[in-house]
Amino acid sequence: MLRVAIIGVGTMGHVHTDAYQQMPDVDLVGVYDADPARAQAFAEARGLSTVYPSAEALIGDVDVVDVCTPTPAHAEYVLAALYAGRDVVCEKPMARSLADCARLIAAAKESGRTLMPAQVLRFFPEYSSATAVIRQGAVGNPATIRTRRGGPFPRATNDWYGDFAQSGGVTLDTIIHDFDWLRWTFGEVEYVYAKASYYNHPTPLDHLDYSLVTLKFRSGAVAQVEGTWAEPGSFSVFLEVCGDAGMIHFDSMESVPLRVNRRQQGGAVGGVAVPESPTSANGYYLELRHFIDCVQAGTTPTITPVDGYYAVEIALAALESARTGKRVAIQGPPARVIAERMPVAA
Amino acid sequence: MAIRIGIMSFAHMHAESYAEQIQSLPGAELAGVADHEPERARTMAARLGVPVFGYETLLRQADVDAVVICSENVRHRELVEMAAAAKKAVLCEKPLATTIEDGEAMLKACRENGVALYTAFPCRFHPAYVRLRQTVHAGELGALIGARSSNHGVNPDGWFTDTKLSGGGAAMDHTVHVADLLRDLSGAEPVEVYAEIGNGIRHGDFDDVAMLTISFDNGLFATLDASWSLPKTFWTWGDVTLYVTGTGGTAGLDMFAQNHQVFSDAALRPRLSNWGDNADRHLVSAFIAALSGEAPPTPLPWGAPPLATGEDGLAAARVAIAAYQSARTGEAVSVRPS
Repeated sequence: MLRVAIIGVGTMGHVHTDAYQQMPDVDLVGVYDADPARAQAFAEARGLSTVYPSAEALIGDVDVVDVCTPTPAHAEYVLAALYAGRDVVCEKPMARSLADCARLIAAAKESGRTLMPAQVLRFFPEYSSATAVIRQGAVGNPATIRTRRGGPFPRATNDWYGDFAQSGGVTLDTIIHDFDWLRWTFGEVEYVYAKASYYNHPTPLDHLDYSLVTLKFRSGAVAQVEGTWAEPGSFSVFLEVCGDAGMIHFDSMESVPLRVNRRQQGGAVGGVAVPESPTSANGYYLELRHFIDCVQAGTTPTITPVDGYYAVEIALAALESARTGKRVAIQGPPARVIAERMPVAA
Repeated sequence: MAIRIGIMSFAHMHAESYAEQIQSLPGAELAGVADHEPERARTMAARLGVPVFGYETLLRQADVDAVVICSENVRHRELVEMAAAAKKAVLCEKPLATTIEDGEAMLKACRENGVALYTAFPCRFHPAYVRLRQTVHAGELGALIGARSSNHGVNPDGWFTDTKLSGGGAAMDHTVHVADLLRDLSGAEPVEVYAEIGNGIRHGDFDDVAMLTISFDNGLFATLDASWSLPKTFWTWGDVTLYVTGTGGTAGLDMFAQNHQVFSDAALRPRLSNWGDNADRHLVSAFIAALSGEAPPTPLPWGAPPLATGEDGLAAARVAIAAYQSARTGEAVSVRPS
């Protein structure tokens, strides 16, 4: 039985708790949060035995540490956990800065422990299956890719998403999912060009963020990624890949197997339509199951700290491009921080 | 008195559609056709039941008020200059020109001869766009922030892939429609273009990958996929989509979404049968109205956009031309109106 605890009890803390509580070989023992009252309420609501008084106490008590805090706190907790000999899964983005990402790669190498950045898209069926179809050759050699991801501006504790210095906006926080999936599926990125409302809209926007990012892959393929926190409608995603032998297209607004329309109590008109796309395979569960399996077996997760570094680098390069108006080359982590025994993604 | 219109060249497939609109709309008649390919001229004249001319005789002897020019792209300049010299109003197929030099010469020729020059941008007149335009111009989306757009399609082949005649591949063919819509919608001018242009679909000596980022002088930025990237098995020829995000909301335009899905065992693949408006009809209607000074024969109930002028045509062409320059240099290229 692996003893697991979660640092940070926001939205992702709940999502990860859902996943661990379905695993018979995992004992989710407790949580730590910078807000003790919130941690207490979370533990009671989710039936967890322990609320740790500090991150150190949590790290000292378990086998596996799951970091679900706001982005800027990731590096500190991950470093402490790795050097304490714990295996760690860390929400995306792996860290707020590339320097911190490099420190995490080095720490994983030095400690010999497992660190998996939670780039969960690889486990979402609509994305893993797209990758499989593309790898089967259905589109031939990919040439153009377009993706979209977004919805309303996210609300969270202390409005930390609204503080660009903490969250990096939609570019670092949300379309980092697409960046990782794209790199996983289409290989290394050569350079990035982007426009972002944070830098390019003529006036500051209040809780609206929007980015359009172009990625050029070493293969020659080109991707355009749309990220939005300026959508008053519901969250949606889109992906389309055209190659020299075909095309694959997916739009979450079109692929809706169930729509439920509930009549408003007492109202003659105006129900609320709620689209659902239920699958028994839950991406978050599959992701954490993979991580736990790797920890149990002593194998390396398919998402490495180097992958986490690249995803952050692409996002930060996009913001740099939006700021400067020039395209920005993707370098990858400095050679000295890449562990010899750590496989670099294809 | 009906406006008498001649057609100069059927190289572009839209010519036949424009001819049908001229023949079926009140207020206009098709006076005759001409083409530098005599066989094509004879075939089209017979099909349309109108006389065939040479270019000069069509302009000088067929008593036409105006001409529609649908030649290969690089011949637009020569034919527009010919029509201008004969004092005939012109509706020219897009892209208006493939070089800025050609475009400016065309505008000059028409200006000096006192001749009206219009660019054939039918998408301006599609009801779905006109409603979007009305929504945006009423301020319902607030200030525009960004847009994701596409005008990507199946490779049209023929002279379109012969850059000596087309002046360029997909980026030249497909950039201008959405560039024009974005200008008309935002009331802003493009100031900078970044583009990735390649040949990753057919691997030929023409571009079929065209992925642009266009920035406007009001801060709006947009990506445009103008590639010839859709497979032969795709439902239809392609699309025009425009997903706009503003401070007050978002709107999504999928111009050719009014379809029946048709599955016929006689065909190898399913197809879409579009039941929406024919934008070409509204375009020709607006052209007739511009020439006659009367109301267009097919009014649009949401306020009709203006017919795109030669200046509009060149402004859109500048975006395509800048895209090639950007792809060559690897940098965003500034676009400046002359």
